[in-house]
Amino acid sequence: MSDEILLEANDITKAFGGVRAVDDVSIAVREGTIHALIGPNGAGKTTFFNAISGFTFPDHGRVTFRGTDVTRTRNWRRIEMGMGRTFQTPSVFPELTVDENVRLGVRAHAKQAFRLRTPTGAAAAAVDARVDELLGFVNLTAQRGRLVAELAHGSQRLCEIAMSLSTDPVLVLLDEPMAGLAEAETERIVGVIRDLRERLGLTVFFVEHNMRVVLSLAEQITVLDRGRLLAEGGPQEIAANEEVRRAYLGREVLASA
Amino acid sequence: MTQGREIAVFAIALVVLAFGPLICPLIQLDITILSEVLVTTLAVLSVNLLLGYTGLPAFGNAAYFGLGAYGAALSVTYLHVNFEFAVLVGAAAAVAGGLLLGPFLLRRRGIYFGLLSIAFGQVFYFIAYRYTDVTGGEDGMNFPRPSLGPGFAHISIKEVQFYYIALIVFAVAMVAFRAVVRSPFGRTLVAIRQNEVRVRYLGLDTDRFIFVALLISALMAGVSGALFGLLINFAYPLILDWHQSGNFVLMMILGGAGTIWGSLVGALIYVIGKDIISTITPLWQIFLGAVFVACVLGFPRGIVGSIGALVRRRAVSEDVSANEAFDANAPIEVGRGV
Repeated sequence: MSDEILLEANDITKAFGGVRAVDDVSIAVREGTIHALIGPNGAGKTTFFNAISGFTFPDHGRVTFRGTDVTRTRNWRRIEMGMGRTFQTPSVFPELTVDENVRLGVRAHAKQAFRLRTPTGAAAAAVDARVDELLGFVNLTAQRGRLVAELAHGSQRLCEIAMSLSTDPVLVLLDEPMAGLAEAETERIVGVIRDLRERLGLTVFFVEHNMRVVLSLAEQITVLDRGRLLAEGGPQEIAANEEVRRAYLGREVLASA
Repeated sequence: MTQGREIAVFAIALVVLAFGPLICPLIQLDITILSEVLVTTLAVLSVNLLLGYTGLPAFGNAAYFGLGAYGAALSVTYLHVNFEFAVLVGAAAAVAGGLLLGPFLLRRRGIYFGLLSIAFGQVFYFIAYRYTDVTGGEDGMNFPRPSLGPGFAHISIKEVQFYYIALIVFAVAMVAFRAVVRSPFGRTLVAIRQNEVRVRYLGLDTDRFIFVALLISALMAGVSGALFGLLINFAYPLILDWHQSGNFVLMMILGGAGTIWGSLVGALIYVIGKDIISTITPLWQIFLGAVFVACVLGFPRGIVGSIGALVRRRAVSEDVSANEAFDANAPIEVGRGV
């Protein structure tokens, strides 16, 4: 683990009408870590995520990615800079095949998406190889010819993760990657997230509800409650934190952790 | 459809169309009507690129169509240019219109894109309507059909010659259109229709893609409009009107949104249907309206789209692994993304 800070958000505030969904929150995501963002429903996790990834801009505060101020940088530019992101409901192209979903991202990264001619030769081979690699990574090679709309929910998630990897990010933002998944599917995603760091050396910042998963997966945990930063620390610290217990954590979950 | 089969269908269609001037008298159809079908197909394709493929409600393409027609009419009337130059001027006027409107249209998506498109189209309509000194206002402007080629070797364009010119332009446009929608660029447009946010989160500036799609669309509508003006030797404000835009959308839906052949089929049914029914009753619009309603209720994917879905379903049941789902001709459900 390096001590380099990859993503830093300072004093982020975002209000909707009179409600401060995120109120003066600061975090630092270190390179090579798996960092989790937790909190009860309505704590502002997704709002915070949106501000970091450029889905919306914060009203106040500053986002720094790889040493550059990206607070007002357009979302597609942030992807070019090395961010990848998934959404709570898998954001995919439902009427395209798995292969094509991933291929679009690979082509985008290879600067081929704007072409009016399909590249041939080495350029095409490089794209093919990368698509194969990504599908292999999330174990969807067998389903590559199927429409994403036909896939099970968990497989759609995996497809989306492959898409977010297709642009070669250094930081992957995952918004509730386990939401709505069965036990076996959850295990699969947990394995993939571990691999993101172990095999690909990426930094992962994720929002999650499943406490068992968070405590076993994350090295650093940030807790939000009602838009404010409640606590920060390693899994043991967070599990032992009285305030966090009161605000959020189910007692039995902690007892079993 | 496999590549080989598609080329075969295209070749057969071209051969049949090439015999148009021979077939027309047999079915008591004026050859100019068939020319109008081919010319109109280009305008329907221009709507299809934006609405059928990219999911943008292109409710104002008559603006580019009309700019094409007026570009041709004005250049012939005031500059006495020849046929091909008039088409070029019309196309250039339409692309200039796209360059002008694009930056504003890009700021909105969904229904607001559609409303803005209509509003901008109406601006051009009123300019043509009001600027009587130059455009003839409500009466429109008559102009003679110029000859083709340079002065020393010019060919005068009678109806049959016009038909073959239209056929050549049509063939080139169809091939070019297919290449565009199958290219990485075209596939990205389809992806934008399905999920623009995701495309942005693949690191692509979707505005850039939509702007270029808009310019290609304006170019096709402009060529269509210029040829239409030259076909009827007339340009009038109503071809800039939003009714005209609506007709193009109607033809696209009738034939099948997001299908190349649908644009031809839609134009064929609309233009010929209008010609036949309007000789029987002045209430032809009621009949076309009924056909349209029946089509949307019965075959929301349009005629070609429904046939395509049927063929695909058969192919899938025969061999699931052969499911070539990533097909540029894959129909979409009409109304999605609108």
